[in-house]
Amino acid sequence: MTASTDYTAQEIIVAAGAKVLEDKKIVFVGTGLPMVAALLAKLTHASGLIPVFEAGAVGPPLSVGLPISVGDSKTFTGASYVGGLNAAFEMTQRGFADFGFIGGAEVDMYGNLNSTMIGDYPAGYQTPKVRLPGSGGASDMAASCERTILIVPHDKRKFSEKLQYITSPGHLDGSPNARFKAGMQGKGPYRLISTKGIFDFDKETKRMRLIQTFPGETVESIQAATGFELLVAPDVTEFAPPTVEEVRMIREDIDPLGAFVKRA
Amino acid sequence: MSFGLFFCPEGAGETSRFPGVTTKLDRQEEVEKLENNAEMYWTGLSPDDAREALVNKDKSMRDKRMTLKEAVSQFIKDGDNVGVGGFVNIRQPIAITHEMVRHGFKDLTLSWQSAGMGPDYLAGAMMVDESHFSIKRIELAYWAHEAFGLSPMFRYLAERGKIEIEDWSNYNMSARFKAGAMGLPFIPTRGPLGGDIASSCRTKIIDCPFTGRPIALLPASNPNVSIIHVQAADKYGNCIIRGTDCTCAELAMGSAHTIVTCEQLVSHELITAAPKEVGIPFAAVDAVIEVPFGAYPGACRRHYYFNGDHIKQFHTGATEMCKGGSSDTLKAYYDENIFGVETFDEFIAKFPVTKLMADQKAESFNCERLA
Repeated sequence: MTASTDYTAQEIIVAAGAKVLEDKKIVFVGTGLPMVAALLAKLTHASGLIPVFEAGAVGPPLSVGLPISVGDSKTFTGASYVGGLNAAFEMTQRGFADFGFIGGAEVDMYGNLNSTMIGDYPAGYQTPKVRLPGSGGASDMAASCERTILIVPHDKRKFSEKLQYITSPGHLDGSPNARFKAGMQGKGPYRLISTKGIFDFDKETKRMRLIQTFPGETVESIQAATGFELLVAPDVTEFAPPTVEEVRMIREDIDPLGAFVKRA
Repeated sequence: MSFGLFFCPEGAGETSRFPGVTTKLDRQEEVEKLENNAEMYWTGLSPDDAREALVNKDKSMRDKRMTLKEAVSQFIKDGDNVGVGGFVNIRQPIAITHEMVRHGFKDLTLSWQSAGMGPDYLAGAMMVDESHFSIKRIELAYWAHEAFGLSPMFRYLAERGKIEIEDWSNYNMSARFKAGAMGLPFIPTRGPLGGDIASSCRTKIIDCPFTGRPIALLPASNPNVSIIHVQAADKYGNCIIRGTDCTCAELAMGSAHTIVTCEQLVSHELITAAPKEVGIPFAAVDAVIEVPFGAYPGACRRHYYFNGDHIKQFHTGATEMCKGGSSDTLKAYYDENIFGVETFDEFIAKFPVTKLMADQKAESFNCERLA
């Protein structure tokens, strides 16, 4: 297993995302890099992973390649059970989803995500500075999957003290039982994967905590690129770079057209 | 709104044999409070009006074939709430949106869960000429293109405050359509709770009367008309859907009217050979039009995969406008592809046959089967 020396920021996210996924679990896979990571996991250590796509496909083998939409025809071929959006989200509410795997444009220290708007909420809601796509199913997965895995590209503005809008609720304000009190189900954010490292959320305070640094990063460099104070695990380790074979699989087998994993 | 039917003599109180009939609605001031509830308003049909529309409709099993032009002018009106079928760029009712653009509409409300090219075509028409086509309001969970990027149309209209926006989640919008289809005024769901979506929309969060924990109540969505593309239909409007059901059945069942385009118009006998495969029943459908490639350049399972190049090409003019450029490129796209043709077939005819065949071949790889 030779370590790669030629991989991109997105490729290490995908490799890390795949490693976080556990075999034989049901994972609701959001659009984008989570789909690439789920496929890599399925082709490596987690052949028994059961992906579910919110447009309604349950447990497809993904043998006809990477879907480029969560409603893609490729998610339906060989699926065990297919319906529509209501059928899928009813499963998350019921407790069928061990994990939800989602992305966002902005995250705070409690793992709340914004994918709705940049601007002044609520006063500027109807005239956002930048209008983002909106929740899609991410807030549903955040509210009802048992645990969530988040992907957010790392920079100081995106790892923000205060979100401009909370689309997908994480640990809310971190207070005890905040999710339960708000009426939500599930334990909330479990891991966050950025372009700089892997984080979990402290048991007591629910704050984001650095557990692994990506090669070339340090605790200090990651803190410097974060808009709030990070907690740091006592035993931070370096995440091993993706192997040459993993990078080859991502480029040649999984996303040869660069639908989500850009070469640059 | 009239409660005359439920009138009970004063003093009947809660001891009535029909407790549901003798409620606080008997008190006139309470009725007025309900009617004037500033927080609640129906943007399509109210549940009672939706029921009334269906009661008064001819639900017979009759031949509903017509042209797209006839369907759009007969069933869509200015100011309507239009439910958009499909999901992102899968089975979006593209041919119907082209015809709507040619016709021209004002002050539409559009409702969907996740959409891409469908609202892009309608919004782009508004960007080109607001006096010909305008959207007043959108109720949505997501408007973008996944692997094909953001929607420059959404950015343009939202960032300039040209449309009212009501954000929900995918499940929220789906459940709202389901409530509409169930004939209910609302549906309880486990969200939006805890974030800002709840304060962006008409959700009411209450303490569940059975568990005591907070739960969200979502108002039903009953659009005036839904626009839906399916794989196969018969002339009566029985529809078969392949791949994701999206929320097309819920939309059709909840709307006052439904326009259906299909890849393939087949006999009633074939459609009903396996009745459980019928996803939308004839009684929910008002117009059936056979339009091959009716969701193109989006995808349609068993028929064709995405034409991402064309999606990007269409976006070029809108992206220029987002950056402060002129509407020339976008207008040229509309003049050539929509206003410059009479029917959707003529739009499809502009694509090289080799490209259409390649997109069909890509899809046949996705779901290999014998011819």
